[in-house]
Amino acid sequence: MELLEPEILLQMLINGLLAGALYALLAGGLNLIFGVMRVINIAHAEFMLIGAFGAYVLFNVFGLHPLFSLLIIVPIIFVVGYYFQRVLIERVVDRPMLTSLLATYGVSIILINVGLLIFSSDFKSVPVLQGSFLIGDLAVSKPRAVAGLVSLVLSVGVYLFLDRTRLGKAVRAVSEHAQVAQICGIDVRQIRMLTFGMAAAMAGAAGVMLSIIYSFWPGSGVDFIQKCFAIIIIGGMGNFVGALYGGILLGVVESFVGGFISTQWAEAVAYLLLVTVLLVRPTGLKGVARA
Amino acid sequence: MKEPLLTVHDMEVSYGAVQVLFGVSLEVRAGEIVCIIGPNGAGKSTVIKAVIGLVPAQKGQVEFDGQPITNSPAHEIPALGITYVPQGRIVFAQMTVADNLEMGAFLKRDSHKRREAVQAVFDQFPRLYERRNQPAGKLSGGEQQMLAIGRALMMNPRLVILDEPSLGLSPKYVDLIYEKLLDLKRQGRTLLMVEQNAARALELSDRGYALELGHNRFADTGAKLLANEDVRRMYLGGA
Ligand SMILES: Nc1ncnc2c1ncn2[C@@H]1O[C@H](COP(=O)(O)OP(=O)(O)OP(=O)(O)O)[C@@H](O)[C@H]1O
Ligand SMILES: [Mg+2]
Repeated sequence: MELLEPEILLQMLINGLLAGALYALLAGGLNLIFGVMRVINIAHAEFMLIGAFGAYVLFNVFGLHPLFSLLIIVPIIFVVGYYFQRVLIERVVDRPMLTSLLATYGVSIILINVGLLIFSSDFKSVPVLQGSFLIGDLAVSKPRAVAGLVSLVLSVGVYLFLDRTRLGKAVRAVSEHAQVAQICGIDVRQIRMLTFGMAAAMAGAAGVMLSIIYSFWPGSGVDFIQKCFAIIIIGGMGNFVGALYGGILLGVVESFVGGFISTQWAEAVAYLLLVTVLLVRPTGLKGVARA
Repeated sequence: MKEPLLTVHDMEVSYGAVQVLFGVSLEVRAGEIVCIIGPNGAGKSTVIKAVIGLVPAQKGQVEFDGQPITNSPAHEIPALGITYVPQGRIVFAQMTVADNLEMGAFLKRDSHKRREAVQAVFDQFPRLYERRNQPAGKLSGGEQQMLAIGRALMMNPRLVILDEPSLGLSPKYVDLIYEKLLDLKRQGRTLLMVEQNAARALELSDRGYALELGHNRFADTGAKLLANEDVRRMYLGGA
């Protein structure tokens, strides 16, 4: 079995880690929103596609490399997310969860249709990087390496922000107990806006990175949001670090299943993994039982 | 007699269609310990929550240090010099002890000042210092209550409002908590607290208010309330 050669296994592992880092960045944002406001943003993957199409436009109109587009797109999507929270989500955040599910589902449909109107249903891509980095016997695709590493750096950056800074700790305090956070002097509404802005920016950044490795169309969000749901349940609902682990785990398992069995099976992997994790640990990898 | 530091006048609060406070009034003077007693559901927590902006008051006024603060948003309250220790010693369970304290000083933007305030609380609560890097959820109930009190001291408040600080604690910790409350008074702070452990609380309090179904029922010095036959029968569980 040549599949069992160490180089090939290592290759699959690296590809999986790189893909997983992108999943982690995307799902991390979704879980952050859920942790802070118990809202599941169905439109999260459409925010990702805004980033992807943004990179596409900037590349085709201005010839801008996606790594530079990142510097433009991320702040813009942050601001969009910030006000999106204020205008829409803030109104539904204290209602039953079904309300916010429906509201964000509506937004997702609107964004998809606007995307179709502007970009049609053709697949797009931003082919800026080609070839592979050769490390010994290993060949790591350049676009995948760049996308994976940038995603990893951004996820770690967000983690450090949440772990170390005054505002980041306030985000965690609000996600644990909004009322008590409030009486510590934390303006909960502002933290929610910050959170949504950050999560949207993470999705947007994931979209820019996606644009250099995959082709995409306005309907591409569905696959990703489904994977994200699986990831946040695997990692533990509302737990940011859990989503990072969950994303990376999914990337790696998909890569091995794709290599050993078939890439068609890789689609089902998210759900098999989900069921397996839940059987062993009902609260997810990093989940905490909540009242 | 000193000017009151906190005045609550004729406060009414409803949750949805259900009214639970029907014109409650009270005052707290600087340097006092004032206690609100009453049976379950009397509205004790609600009075406090309305004072600090966690629930809206439909009617009535709240004044702090001569300024009207009725229905101020809760996140603006600590800057005024009022902090709160919630019922059920709620701490941020997944955050470390030190980070919990730091959140109590969220309004201090200067990280150096926050660290100083954390250190000052560690000096008062050595046990918290020992456990500073552990998640607060791992602490014992008594330690969590210490942490919740420590968090409320981070802004160097003039008035500390405590909801059932001794509820559910072992006798050893109840003693310790009451000790700390007296310390706070000696530091010149003013305390308003709710207690079910009414006898114990009244012993410590300068004055007390007894609530019943959302109305003021008795108001007097702690000692006189303790001596009052009706209060003993209705609130202290027997003669
Ligand atoms: N969020 C809420 N929504 C609806 N009703 C509430 C809410 N909080 C309290 N109540 C009701 O208001 C009344 C007063 O409650 P409150 O918590 O102020 O009483 P309490 O005196 O603090 O009681 P306890 O000793 O149980 O803490 C009770 O009947 C309670 O059921
Ligand atoms: Mg109560």
